[in-house]
Amino acid sequence: MPRLTIDGKEIEVPAGANLIEAARRLGIEIPHYCYHPGLSIAGQCRLCMVELEKNPRPQIACNMVAMDGMVVHTQTPKVLETRKSIMEFHLINHPLDCPVCDQAGECWLQIYYMKHGLYDSRFVEEKVHKPKAVPLGPHVILDAERCILCSRCTRFCDEITKTGELGIFNRGDHSEVGLFPGKVLDNRYSGNVVDICPVGALTDRDFRFQVRVWYLDTQKSVCPGCSRGCNIEIHSNVRRPHHAQGRRVARLKPRYNPHVNDWWICDAGRYGFGSIDQGRITFPQLREGGLLREVTWREALALLIDRLRAYGPDEIGLLASPEMTNEELFLIRRLAETLGVKNLDFQVPPREPGDEDDFLLRADKNPNTRGAEAIGLWPADRGLDAWEMLEALRREQLKCLWVFHHDVTRCGWPEGAVLEALQAAQCLIYTGSNVNGMTERAHLVLPAATYAEKEGTFTNFEGRVQRIRKALPPLGDSRADWEILGECLEALNAGPKPNRPEEVFRALAHAVPAFAGLTYRDLGEYGLMLREVAHGASR
Amino acid sequence: MSLAGQMIAFTPAQLDEVRRLQALYPDPRAALLPVLQLAQEAFDFISPDVEQYVAGLFDLSPAHVHEVVTFYSLFFTKPVGRHVVSVCRTLSCHLLGAPDVVAYLKERLGIEAGATTKDGKVTFFTVECLCACEMAPMMQVNDRYEGHLTREKIDRILERLE
Amino acid sequence: MAELLLMRRFEIPDSHTLRVYRETGGYQGLAKAFGMTPVAILDAVKRSNLRGLGGAGFPTAVKWGFLPKDSPKPRYLVVNADEGEPGTFKDRYLLERDPHALIEGMTIAAYAIGSHLSFVYIRGEYIKPFRIFSAAVHEAYEAGLLGKGILGSGFDLEVIIHRGAGAYICGEETGLISSLEGKKGWPKLKPPFPAVRGAFDCPTIVNNVETLCHLPHIITLGGQWFAALGTKTQGGTRMYSVSGHVVRPGVYELPVTATLRELIENHAGGMPRGRRLKAVVPGGSSAQILTADEIDVTMDVDGLRDAGTMAGSAGVIVMDESTCIPEALWVLARFYAHESCGQCTPCRESTGWVEKILARILSGKGRPEDPDNLLDIARRGAGTTICAFYDGAVNPYLSYVEKFRSEFDYHIHHGECDVQPGRVVTGLGTR
Repeated sequence: MPRLTIDGKEIEVPAGANLIEAARRLGIEIPHYCYHPGLSIAGQCRLCMVELEKNPRPQIACNMVAMDGMVVHTQTPKVLETRKSIMEFHLINHPLDCPVCDQAGECWLQIYYMKHGLYDSRFVEEKVHKPKAVPLGPHVILDAERCILCSRCTRFCDEITKTGELGIFNRGDHSEVGLFPGKVLDNRYSGNVVDICPVGALTDRDFRFQVRVWYLDTQKSVCPGCSRGCNIEIHSNVRRPHHAQGRRVARLKPRYNPHVNDWWICDAGRYGFGSIDQGRITFPQLREGGLLREVTWREALALLIDRLRAYGPDEIGLLASPEMTNEELFLIRRLAETLGVKNLDFQVPPREPGDEDDFLLRADKNPNTRGAEAIGLWPADRGLDAWEMLEALRREQLKCLWVFHHDVTRCGWPEGAVLEALQAAQCLIYTGSNVNGMTERAHLVLPAATYAEKEGTFTNFEGRVQRIRKALPPLGDSRADWEILGECLEALNAGPKPNRPEEVFRALAHAVPAFAGLTYRDLGEYGLMLREVAHGASR
Repeated sequence: MSLAGQMIAFTPAQLDEVRRLQALYPDPRAALLPVLQLAQEAFDFISPDVEQYVAGLFDLSPAHVHEVVTFYSLFFTKPVGRHVVSVCRTLSCHLLGAPDVVAYLKERLGIEAGATTKDGKVTFFTVECLCACEMAPMMQVNDRYEGHLTREKIDRILERLE
Repeated sequence: MAELLLMRRFEIPDSHTLRVYRETGGYQGLAKAFGMTPVAILDAVKRSNLRGLGGAGFPTAVKWGFLPKDSPKPRYLVVNADEGEPGTFKDRYLLERDPHALIEGMTIAAYAIGSHLSFVYIRGEYIKPFRIFSAAVHEAYEAGLLGKGILGSGFDLEVIIHRGAGAYICGEETGLISSLEGKKGWPKLKPPFPAVRGAFDCPTIVNNVETLCHLPHIITLGGQWFAALGTKTQGGTRMYSVSGHVVRPGVYELPVTATLRELIENHAGGMPRGRRLKAVVPGGSSAQILTADEIDVTMDVDGLRDAGTMAGSAGVIVMDESTCIPEALWVLARFYAHESCGQCTPCRESTGWVEKILARILSGKGRPEDPDNLLDIARRGAGTTICAFYDGAVNPYLSYVEKFRSEFDYHIHHGECDVQPGRVVTGLGTR
């Protein structure tokens, strides 16, 4: 491990670390545009200049590997003056159209100009003109005049997706980023080029002119789109609801996790947030005379308890969902135990096999299958599994089915058989977030909060337990599943309802060996592996 | 792939040459410039269709071929005339009258630099130093360097062109 | 004129043929080299004080010495025949008039550094030189001077001739390597240097044509003999390309101890029409300009460095009193803007900026602050880029404005030229 000195502070860094990363460990920011830790070194932007003792010229920090005994200065007059010069070069041909640029507020030209530029403009020539507002594909739009030609996007397409759609064409100040004529940028990860673009050259089409970034609130979460469990940030706009027609979630951004997704997320996950604000079930509903009627939670819960008590354990089925958190699944297990219900399952086959690749996308489109397995949401003893429950419904052996989140009317099972079974149910209870085939058929509909509106944990396919956090209040009267289940258990005299998911997690960690020893605090930023996995046990 | 109904494809002999070139270098990609030069001979200029065809021969993304084609000044991305005249305009030629050569060619050919005469005979470019400064002012006419240019000499050169 | 080494065959009919080359002592250096160890050749080159003649002037033996001793990878010798520096045309003469000298020189170099595959990168516009050199290579293969077991030595060398496609930057050795690899000619980050990781990620030596053409007589006559022709730090002769306002433009081979005045006045015949000298660029367009009273300097690397300029590629561009210096600088600024590869921000952006400022000055719309801005832009960008291209542009930017400031100011204040009043510059703003 080389030991070096940066701005008078000594630090030991891993072999091979460059000076930007070495300085970062000391809390020293070396400004840069083209450098990205997930991509090869390009060395083009020339902004990360530092001075090295015994070296007459400033050097770029990105291409300089930290060596033992190196003495680095990042704040000398020469360095500061060089940064200022480089900023001016970056900006002379830039259109300076911040008032109409979506990047404004999170633009590294703005940020670094304020930190390292602050020169008086003296460029009076005609700027170089390049293509503007060019849609590159379904998600990304290009303004080549704003581009600083850092090549991060081209390197992303070359090195990460290996799809090579983007290139830098021509040369000199006529160089421009673009697509081959007639091609589109539509790989499964195209949205990442927007994140890594340090300026307003590449922006999200669906975020375009929606809301100013300084009105956004940020919360850490985990993408529920598949079992990878990519770490994300939810960016929500509640301060200026009129700016985006009331949609609260403005966008999702990847959050770095070296164990899961590095800096990236797929487009399916990134742009799949519409269901948080659209098509929601916002109040409990009871079916009367074929029509759903809005009821209060008090009425709904009373009815729910009444139904659960009205049937014998063999007449009740519980169909949990791998979309639910570990905490919620644990409460369903407790509910099954309390009621003595053995008909318990969580898996319903998807209508179509999920999209999968060798990068991030997993075929299993549920965020918590592994958690459900670990907690054991399986049929107990000779209990029925999901399909058997439907068959039993049809035979009128099962009377009451409580379905969480699954729309079994649109799954891998034959639709006719499913509808026949649902039709035969005496009592069909559905807890979910969005209107679907189940809400059309359920007798009792309980509105559930989405993952963005609650706390909890998911366990990804590798067994990594990761926290999700509440970015928004539940929409309308919806409630988190853990709250609904907590109320239900309390009403069934199975103990007081939990105040927070963390309490449930503590109980889970106590009761389920795979989770033993895990706490919210220890899960930290990157999550932790299930015990069985961490100890290399079989799976 | 077609261009005005014309198939873009090398002849078998040209394809053999492509394979020979690709096998020649430690990395087949190194044959990209020679193959593009071959393509320009075969198809007169490098259209997007040609780029895509060549990209296929190298298993490269067409964008990467387009990067290369647009980087180098000797690849024509638009049709050119039967003869290409490139007038050097850099310092030594400029000092000895390159602007007059350019002006005279514009007048003689009736076109601006970068354009092709209506009859498709001549395309004329202004270019940077051709490294024949001892014969300034000079120009390249197809594969020949022509120096010590005067109006009379330019006339004679243009008259020789078919 | 002193004894010619590089140009001694130039006036012989059919000098490009193997027959003439052999009749005039050709391939004797190679035969002798095969009797020496590679270390002994390196030693001779070290003693010769041969410096790279492409532009950087780096000692050749030192460059070869950077090759890693223990790499299992093949080593490549790349011949830089991508002549492009404005004012320079010597390599074209060598390729056309003495191609076997290059083949012999590169074979000696390849033997010395242990390379069995060599690439000759010839600029795309050089069609005649390419044809003549290709024919010579063919002849050499036929005669057993290339290929397997050259001259019965057991040393093998294959040669691939690679044509460029029109980009000045490919004369920069790592831009050349990128281009050779089938990419656009973007120079590569250093480290690693080509000697460690160059073409196809293998150790690579890039040498200029003229540099390699010196090897046969260095081997034949000895390193010390070669060194004695020059200064303490640079041996031998070199070819000076002279152009611009002189009576006899052309290539002249002189010892590096010759002075610029000697070259211009004695060899190139001075100014035509009795005009007075105004300025000289001594080492290709990327060298700083010298005024008429700064030409009593020797043209070796050190001599010109001490004069505040550089030997560069030895392309000497002579400007007489009729020359408008702001216009000359604009012509060069247009060249640099056109040829900037676009990779590094300072170079990409400021080459275009400088060109636009100069075009504006020449169009009569100059501003009083323009000369200072030009100097400031040039100084701020200098030394900040991946390769030496931008510093090569900065040299003229700074030196033309600094040494001929009054001409720029005159244009700005009067809206026209003081050298040629009323002159209208055409082509402003076109690139």
